[in-house]
Amino acid sequence: MSGIDWGVLIFTLIAIVSYGMYKSRGTQNIQGYLLSGQSSPWYSVCLSVMATQASAITFLAAPGLAYSSGMGFVQFYFGLPLAMIVLCITFVPIFHRLKVYTAYEYLEQRFDLNTRALTAFLFLIQRGLSTGITIYAPSIILSTILNINTTYTTLCIGSIVVAYTVYGGSKAVSYTQMLQMSIIFLGLFAAGIMVVQLLPADVGFGKAISIAGKMGRTNAIDFKFDWDNQYNIWSGLIGGFFLQLSYFGTDQSQVGRYLTGSSVSQSRLGLLMNGLVKIPMQFLILLIGVLVFTFYQYNRPPVFFNSFELNKLEKSSYKPQLGVLKVEYEQAFKEKQQSLNKLSSALERNDQAEIDQQRTVLQQSDEHTKAVRKQVTDLMLKNDKGADINDNNYVFLSFVTKYLPKGLIGLLIAIIFLASMGSTASALNSLASTSVIDIYKRLMNKDAGDEKYLSASRWSTVLWGAVCIGMALYASKIGNLLEAVNILGSYIYGTILGVFLVAFYIRHVNGKAVFYAALITELIVCICGWQKVVAYLWLNLIGCVLVVLIAMLLQLFLKNTAPEQRQA
Amino acid sequence: MSSQQDLPPFVKTWKQFYLLLIGWLVFLIVAFYLFTKYFQ
Repeated sequence: MSGIDWGVLIFTLIAIVSYGMYKSRGTQNIQGYLLSGQSSPWYSVCLSVMATQASAITFLAAPGLAYSSGMGFVQFYFGLPLAMIVLCITFVPIFHRLKVYTAYEYLEQRFDLNTRALTAFLFLIQRGLSTGITIYAPSIILSTILNINTTYTTLCIGSIVVAYTVYGGSKAVSYTQMLQMSIIFLGLFAAGIMVVQLLPADVGFGKAISIAGKMGRTNAIDFKFDWDNQYNIWSGLIGGFFLQLSYFGTDQSQVGRYLTGSSVSQSRLGLLMNGLVKIPMQFLILLIGVLVFTFYQYNRPPVFFNSFELNKLEKSSYKPQLGVLKVEYEQAFKEKQQSLNKLSSALERNDQAEIDQQRTVLQQSDEHTKAVRKQVTDLMLKNDKGADINDNNYVFLSFVTKYLPKGLIGLLIAIIFLASMGSTASALNSLASTSVIDIYKRLMNKDAGDEKYLSASRWSTVLWGAVCIGMALYASKIGNLLEAVNILGSYIYGTILGVFLVAFYIRHVNGKAVFYAALITELIVCICGWQKVVAYLWLNLIGCVLVVLIAMLLQLFLKNTAPEQRQA
Repeated sequence: MSSQQDLPPFVKTWKQFYLLLIGWLVFLIVAFYLFTKYFQ
């Protein structure tokens, strides 16, 4: 990276963090620290929930996915607007009316202390572990691109986030996220324009999309139901709805963001605007990936985008085999280019027969290059069983660092840092809220003053920051931790969502029934997961349904116990 | 909080806003379908 890029990167990070700290100065009570004094307007709520959901991987993996398999990933978000509506009708008014700090606080008012403590505990385990990965995943990518040790990138991201989150609490998180999202939009827009500029003179925006389309990369919608295909309209609408509802409704890192709204209306509006904007935003990010794909049809891409893994193979005893595959890859690229030129002319003439013929040829050569890449990754695994053979996250960054002008590279690297910082800051704030409000204040020190709780929140943020950074540093020593954390999330999310659904919609069920239902469900879900009865994503649905059914069943046996009348 | 503050912008009730969002989702699905078909 050039001096200009380093300058842009450092200036962007300092400016945003300073702005957040300046705007959040003088926070002197627990309400201000954990909920921004509930004074945020709707646009702040909207940008904050978007920044919390969009981790660095979102901006790296999505263009890479579009490059390798097309735009079908956009369907994953189809359930989001529907989930936003349910949240606005049920969750938001209740949380606001009861003036809760955390979602789990409501569960004590509706059920009992046991249920509140159980769900808070499950959340702390899940979020505490996954936040380490939120820091680690972009750190490893940035260390490859910037050629810096992972420890330094991890410490850099982690310590900056901890510093401003401890100082300004929720307000600092919201203000930095507003600027972060603005910079992210600006950077991605500039990157999109640059990709089109870098295409050959006779290939404009429309033609670039057409070429990618003929090679199967513009498949944004798939109506065919298929259990094995994770991205189709049905999995997006049904599975996506449950996933987004459980994430936005029961995960304190999101609940804490929309509770900062100055009123029910402002929180609602923030969430609904997120529902309006999220899908087009993801579509545009994927479209950048499609444009990068077309760019690489005219400029030979590396046989594997993760240069760290490729270099490892270069230095191994498999170098001769890699050399042969590289020659084959080069040959396949040249053949593809001939066909591409014919397709380009056919598109200009609108010669449908020629377009169809060249499409078939191009798709065959695309399969050929994929097969060569597969042989390369097989070699990587032979050389090192722990090799990372998925290079989706490196496609966009590799393009950025190699082809974009000075200055813009620094800005786009800053985006990766900012996205990681945005989601990590929300997570730390939510971990502190839950630890202090649901554990410390409720179970350990009930009658302390506001100042004491504010101090406890700051120390809790520091402690969780240290735990998450430690996790991120330790993650480099365990190969498959990312998947392990995702699996752990699926073990827990469904159960918590089930508890909340019972709380909101099945009023005759009381605390004892739902508490034991949650415990039994956790046990069953753990056994199902351990025995690999189903793919782990389905554990979310199983957990949710089981809690509801078991709670209703237990309530029948416990019917002599009067249902609690705590419903607000 | 006054009832005036509870009203959403552009439309008269929250229900209308929810319907607007569902309509937007349907529009996006149709637009993406046409996009997929056109460039295929």
